[in-house]
Amino acid sequence: MVCAQVEASPRKHWQKVLYERQPFPDNYVDHRFLEELRKNIYARKYQYWAVVFESGVVIQQLCSVCVFVVIWWYMDDGLLTPQWLFGAGLASSLIGYILFDVIDLGVGRKESGRTWWADLKSTLVFIAFTYGFSPVLKTLTESISTDTIYAMSVLMLLGHLIFFDYGANAAIVSSTLSLNMAIFASVCLASRLPRSLHTFAMVTFAIQIFALWPMLQKKLKAQTPRCYVGVTLLFALSALAGLLTISGVAALLFALLLISISCLCPYCLIRLQLLKDNIHGPWDEAEIKDDLSRFLM
Amino acid sequence: MACRRIGCHGHTLSPASSINCVKALATGIRTHSICMVSDFFYPNMGGVESHIYQLSHCLIERGHKVIIVTHAYGNRKGIRYLANGLKVYYLPLKVMYNQSTATTLFHSLPLLRYIFVRERVTIVHSHSSFSSMAHDALFHAKTMGLQTVFTDHSLFGFADVSSVLTNKLLTVSLCDTNHIICVSYTSKENTVLRAALNPEIVSVIPNAVDPTDFTPDPSRRDDSTITVVVVSRLVYRKGIDLLSGIIPELCQKYPDLHFLVGGEGPKRIVLEEVRERYQLHDRVRLLGALEHQDVRNVLVQGHIFLNTSLTEAFCMAIVEAASCGLQVVSTRVGGIPEVLPENLIVLCEPSVKSLCDGLEKAVAQIRSGTLPTPETIHNKVKTFYTWRNVAERTAKVYDRVADEVVLPMDKRLDRLISHCGSVTGCIFALFAVLSFLFLVFLRWMTPDSIIDVAVDATGPSGAWTQQYFPSKKGSEKEEIPDC
Repeated sequence: MVCAQVEASPRKHWQKVLYERQPFPDNYVDHRFLEELRKNIYARKYQYWAVVFESGVVIQQLCSVCVFVVIWWYMDDGLLTPQWLFGAGLASSLIGYILFDVIDLGVGRKESGRTWWADLKSTLVFIAFTYGFSPVLKTLTESISTDTIYAMSVLMLLGHLIFFDYGANAAIVSSTLSLNMAIFASVCLASRLPRSLHTFAMVTFAIQIFALWPMLQKKLKAQTPRCYVGVTLLFALSALAGLLTISGVAALLFALLLISISCLCPYCLIRLQLLKDNIHGPWDEAEIKDDLSRFLM
Repeated sequence: MACRRIGCHGHTLSPASSINCVKALATGIRTHSICMVSDFFYPNMGGVESHIYQLSHCLIERGHKVIIVTHAYGNRKGIRYLANGLKVYYLPLKVMYNQSTATTLFHSLPLLRYIFVRERVTIVHSHSSFSSMAHDALFHAKTMGLQTVFTDHSLFGFADVSSVLTNKLLTVSLCDTNHIICVSYTSKENTVLRAALNPEIVSVIPNAVDPTDFTPDPSRRDDSTITVVVVSRLVYRKGIDLLSGIIPELCQKYPDLHFLVGGEGPKRIVLEEVRERYQLHDRVRLLGALEHQDVRNVLVQGHIFLNTSLTEAFCMAIVEAASCGLQVVSTRVGGIPEVLPENLIVLCEPSVKSLCDGLEKAVAQIRSGTLPTPETIHNKVKTFYTWRNVAERTAKVYDRVADEVVLPMDKRLDRLISHCGSVTGCIFALFAVLSFLFLVFLRWMTPDSIIDVAVDATGPSGAWTQQYFPSKKGSEKEEIPDC
């Protein structure tokens, strides 16, 4: 930094105050100029494998969407009967339900205060209503062209992936919107299946994979990270295998996508982090760190 | 100042120079023809508005010719004269957001060029980085080869997307501006970083307060209790959430402590809730929006002034309070530590605990009687900031700028491309060329020679400042209704 010519006597030191008339020109630049500048004080250091581990959430969600589409494809082609899907879904839900409590030894249940009976009731109500309404859902979109339905489903599933709560603290995250978009897509797709029983099975499956499965995953991740990695790998492989039976090219592309998200993206993040140049100083807006809600309790 | 201050804590519109209007000045002072441009001007009220107004008056007093250009406010359009012949152009431009006009970089050129030519403007002085009209005027002035000065009144962060974009635009706007003025050293550091400037073309000239408007009156306060005064807009950036924590904490500790809150805003509800929850209706008074002339009457009722702002470039409020003889307790943010000497202010960190400690310290001082009297504080503070001093220093900037050369077109394009990054630089270089062609077209349509030259109201040959009009208070009152 170049200093302006000091007109004053060298004994008098410049002060960073406005209330005193100082013997310096107004555009004087002291050597203390910008001394309070700080850089990257909040920048986080990332570990490669930690980021890879965190990317598991995205992988899981991509695979969920993939599995859902594959199952729909099977149903549409008649390779999978609705009875079988419903039965398998029910069984895996039961296993997941038990796991959900076993993982944290029932601590979460005690905290929420929800009983098994309440869960059973809401499950029965949901199944009964979906079953009752499945003929309506089946005919709901009859007047809409199939292309529109497909396009809409693709958009909705993309939206589901975009708004899903991956754990980031951002304004765009909305788990409600995300879940609603997924269910909407499932209703759209299910309405193109041959019979209303198909529709019922498909919508139930959508609830299981988009609403219940992420909850279990979250708990798995928090309690047993090792199991979580294993489950993620297994899930990804089964999704790939399922996709392979439909289209080899799609499976290859999907595999590339998964690899780039879990391996390449963390690498890019860490490389780009080195280029981070965040400026802080006294001009920053102060943050209120107190918990002020206690004054209104 | 991402949101503009409106209303509640406006500043004076009575000219500081009204005491001795047109003082005979020593001859030999260089005079300039200055055009102040900003979206923010009376009838809007706030720091920028009063800065422009007061500065213009003191410059007129020094013999310069000053006109102000702003956008139309409702019915207030066309040309208006304020006190002492201060001419204001209210241009019919569309207001887009927060009293700021839309910007296309081109649509205002015909009007502004016409004004610059007919008023024979030599220096264009733009105010506030939130005003798109100010940036437009800078851009056109450079195209027309006029000298440019810009005053930045606010602080900006670097963290989020919106500040990245606005900082880029500021870089473009200021890269070929002759001189920049900031209101505090912190603001200067901020602006230099935001616009990637050479710090030597940035001067620091603080805001000022008219000390005759803010005089102490100890008889108005109740010395059996201690009153803490808060005057600010009730918004997040003024730290009203902190205030909602301080009030219950201290009211429980000191039974004789009262709070007096002036101002309006979305956070009022928080204070009302606190008052309700702790049953403090008799001790916490919320006055709502204050007219400017009432601010002093509220201030003199208190012993302590509390400022909880989270960011502030200069903070006139604490100077006004100190001028009224109050002990000031404030957060240590932005330029605030530069504004008052340590014995007149208690600086705290922006947290409830620290601010409570600061207030307790001030209360203890009042009880022990170690504080200087309001009159002493006032006499000290009134020497710190005066508009005359601001005008003198600004005039120095004008003198300096007048000797500089305005970059010719080729150099300007070079500067834009080399200074603002290749993509933005090239885009704006293209805009500069287009605006130049547009100017050539306008000059062909209406040559400068056939544009009428306006009669000067102010300046060396100012009609107003000579015999034609009475230059004293009588006419002012009509010109500035309900201010």
